[in-house]
Amino acid sequence: MFLKIVMNDVRRKKIITATVLVFIAMAVVLGSSATNIIANLMQSIAQLKTHAVPSDLTQMHIGSYDQGAVDALVAALGEHIAEQETMYLLNIEGSDIHFGANRTMVDTVQDISFVVQNQKFDFILDLDNRKLDIQAGEVAVPIYFMKTYGLSLGDVLRIESRGFRKEFVISEYARDFEMNSALASSKRFVINQADYDEMLEHQVGEMEYLIEFKLHEHGDLRTVRNAYREAGLPSNGPTIEGRLFSLFNALSDAAVVMVIVLISLLLVVVASLCIRLTFLATIDEDLREIGVMKAMGISKKDIRNVYLTKYKVVATIAGVLGYALSFLVVRAFNGNMRLYLSSDLSGSLQYVLSLFAPVAIYLIVVLYCRSVLGRIDGISATEALRSDIMQRGKHRKYRFPLLKNRFLDTSIYMGLRDVATRIKLYRLLFFIFIVCTFIAILPLNVFNTMNSPKFSTYMGIGQCDVRIDLRKTDTITADFERLLAELENDSDIEKHAAYITCSYPAMTADGRWDYILIETGDFSVFPLQYLEGTAPAEAGEISLSFAQASADGLDKKVGDTVVVQVGGVEKQLKVSGIYQDITNGGKTAKAGASLGLQHDAILWYMVNLDIALHADVSAKMAHYQSTYASAQVNGIKEYARQTMGNIIRQMGAIVIGGLAIAIVVMVLITALFLKMLLSKDMSQIAIMRSIGLSAKQIEHQYLAGTMAVLLPGIILGILAADYLGEILVSMAMSSMGAASIRFVGIAWQTWLVYPLLIIVVVGITLSLSCKIAVAEDLSVVLRS
Amino acid sequence: MRTMLEARNVHKKIALDEDNVLHILRDVDLRIGEGEFVSVMGPSGSGKSTLLYTVSGMDRITSGSVRFMDQEIGSLKEEALSKLRLEHMGFIFQDINLLKNLSLIDNIMFPALLEKHVDKKAVHDKAKRLMEMTGIATLADNSITQASGGQLQRAGICRALINEPAMIFGDEPTGALDSKSAAEIMTILAEINSQGTTVMLVTHDMKVAAKTQRVLYMVDGCIIAQKHLGPYVESSDTLVDREQELMNWLVTNGF
Repeated sequence: MFLKIVMNDVRRKKIITATVLVFIAMAVVLGSSATNIIANLMQSIAQLKTHAVPSDLTQMHIGSYDQGAVDALVAALGEHIAEQETMYLLNIEGSDIHFGANRTMVDTVQDISFVVQNQKFDFILDLDNRKLDIQAGEVAVPIYFMKTYGLSLGDVLRIESRGFRKEFVISEYARDFEMNSALASSKRFVINQADYDEMLEHQVGEMEYLIEFKLHEHGDLRTVRNAYREAGLPSNGPTIEGRLFSLFNALSDAAVVMVIVLISLLLVVVASLCIRLTFLATIDEDLREIGVMKAMGISKKDIRNVYLTKYKVVATIAGVLGYALSFLVVRAFNGNMRLYLSSDLSGSLQYVLSLFAPVAIYLIVVLYCRSVLGRIDGISATEALRSDIMQRGKHRKYRFPLLKNRFLDTSIYMGLRDVATRIKLYRLLFFIFIVCTFIAILPLNVFNTMNSPKFSTYMGIGQCDVRIDLRKTDTITADFERLLAELENDSDIEKHAAYITCSYPAMTADGRWDYILIETGDFSVFPLQYLEGTAPAEAGEISLSFAQASADGLDKKVGDTVVVQVGGVEKQLKVSGIYQDITNGGKTAKAGASLGLQHDAILWYMVNLDIALHADVSAKMAHYQSTYASAQVNGIKEYARQTMGNIIRQMGAIVIGGLAIAIVVMVLITALFLKMLLSKDMSQIAIMRSIGLSAKQIEHQYLAGTMAVLLPGIILGILAADYLGEILVSMAMSSMGAASIRFVGIAWQTWLVYPLLIIVVVGITLSLSCKIAVAEDLSVVLRS
Repeated sequence: MRTMLEARNVHKKIALDEDNVLHILRDVDLRIGEGEFVSVMGPSGSGKSTLLYTVSGMDRITSGSVRFMDQEIGSLKEEALSKLRLEHMGFIFQDINLLKNLSLIDNIMFPALLEKHVDKKAVHDKAKRLMEMTGIATLADNSITQASGGQLQRAGICRALINEPAMIFGDEPTGALDSKSAAEIMTILAEINSQGTTVMLVTHDMKVAAKTQRVLYMVDGCIIAQKHLGPYVESSDTLVDREQELMNWLVTNGF
């Protein structure tokens, strides 16, 4: 019997029920997709890690190298170190790698090295997560390069360097746990031992060492790292901890997941608002039915069951549909993960975890229905038959009399006063418009910020045109001095500043010595925006990155003292400021040149420069690139773009996705809202028509009302995306080292194109769905 | 007398389902002259109200022709028909049908304010005058939940009169009122009619019909008889006589 009542109710309100179903399903699709992606991410990183066996500690080094000293350390620290292996990297210039029709890899910001597969651990894998085994004449190319340069299996790479020339056929994709991510600045190409030896023999490229350590399960990383330093073992390069690789791998996908989770949560809010809207809009009619049922003597519990059953059925169907559909969405989003992390995403974890969303959403729907139905319980049969629940018990002062309207057309005024007098109903639509605008604008803001030259601020770099990185080679000091001298005399260079990064022992919060990266130089030339305090201007000052200053790092505030050893001498440095930096795992520091260099631990040299307006930037960059062999010259925008490339590309997809979701939701809700409003107001509309209002005049009332809600909704949505969005994104990015993101908005997009697009789409929806039926006899409604 | 409304062979049917059709009006002919006060009586389901709604253009006819003020209303588009209703017709309903979220005076003024460039003060003064005439001037700013059925019906009459229509249609305007209120409403309608407005009412109430000039009697969708009672002059003796005369006539027609 109840099922029959429910089915009849659904049949009578087909469109409304269908739209509620669509909303719940959409919320489930996104909720499930987000959990599914998280499950996939965790599972595939774990799988990849199992097969690749990454190192726990890696020391990069260029220059002379003595394996014997390293072996001695391994023997001494046997309780911590399980295995050690040194990978010999042949670093090749991008300009020496040719492919396709006269193309080279000269424009990459990545360091390229040719290697032979390791024997013990840190394996580079194929797309099936098997250890790569490369034959002579073949090469496995990192996924990043396959994608960046549009390479395919079977293509030919040609190395041309110092008269040496060799061709390799691309036989595999190289999936590299340690260096997959664009955030890692080097990429490894895998070749056969014979080819490697041949290149070595011809002195192609420059040798770099990856001194890798695999620790025992309970081995202490810090002990090994400090022992390595103290033993004075080779360390002309950065030291990388294993967890950083996992972080890099997760980050590109994590950013996407965070945005999807946010959008899903917002959609769940929208779905709840829709259900509330449905209740409010149909409650008068339902109330009469409830009154009839109560008058017939049906118990409260049974009445509640009728309505609850309806929404339970709708939520169940929507849940199943949404759950099934989520797998299609996940497939679309997982492309990246399938390529970089694991081709086999078929684990059962995802099926179980994605069930969380439909179950949670079902519970939300049912709980919400219960709370609304709880209010109906308190109404007597006669009250239910006679009263209008929206007006119940309210005798407000009469507002907005018609004579107060001085300028507007009466129909428009009636529409606006309808919003004011039924604010409870319209405010739901208002919230939905805010949320949808937020969903559309936030990804755009993030995307524009990442694409902006100002983004370098979050990478710990002051805003400049070009950065030149010098790799550690035997001639580096001479090269560096020559470069500075040339820059000084180059009239095309407006200004420049040189920075040297060394690794210094610093006292941690628990009184131990730990090595930290400190960049020294003059930070007033290209000022960086500080979160707190200022750049180190005087001797004895240091500034810390957000992550370095946090509890996870040195745990310091502005004004605190950091103790650093320079050349064996302890120096007390005052923290002058805290800045944001998402590079090098987020943990960096800056100090004036007066700090002095840690000569045995210089990691890299960098020069930032601005090129004069009249000069040709690309010609200038080409000049310095060709003059200094060990230099890497990059436009700062290109540098950020390539480093953040993956995230930016995915963010681009989310910008489109967010906009599409927002527009679909707005179109559906607007159409549903009007449909419900028109059906709720059927008798009032008939009265208006009977006294001589045309259908068009009545339509104008509803259009005016909805537009009056849409416009402020858009404005508030944009403001929320600008200000609240910054807070949310900053919270999310603080784990990467940027705690205070300031959006770089493009005003014509945010305030003109998007709002116009939304207004046009909603306007078209309104004009299509706001149709007063005129075919039916008026008396049917008037007399019913 | 000039013709205000003329219906010829008006037929109205509705499909109950695929096989069954209900004929509500069957070839009805009707002519109402300018300034007439006509009532329609008949048993429930005879088609009285449908006749009122079809000849006023609120409902569409299935076949036949309806002319109002020399215009064929069957061929008018929705917008033109609405304009005709707004400017030349007034409606009074049994269920009152005022707009919920407007005060009484705003309900009354609303149809007049739809005209562009209207003098709002003049509309307001006119609404006040009408409210005074119908005895509800003190309730101007009340909401519709703060007035009795009789008061609301008076407001409904004021709304029907605000645009000075040529004809007023009433669907049992006294049907939900007590006899005192009903008598007062009829007095107001008689007064309006005396000023030249044509009135057509549907009613079950002999007392109401007795105050009109002509009574039409419907059975099964057809007007089977009509009775000319002539103009009513307010007096209790005449009313009793008119009621008696009407009763006798109705009985002969099978009432």
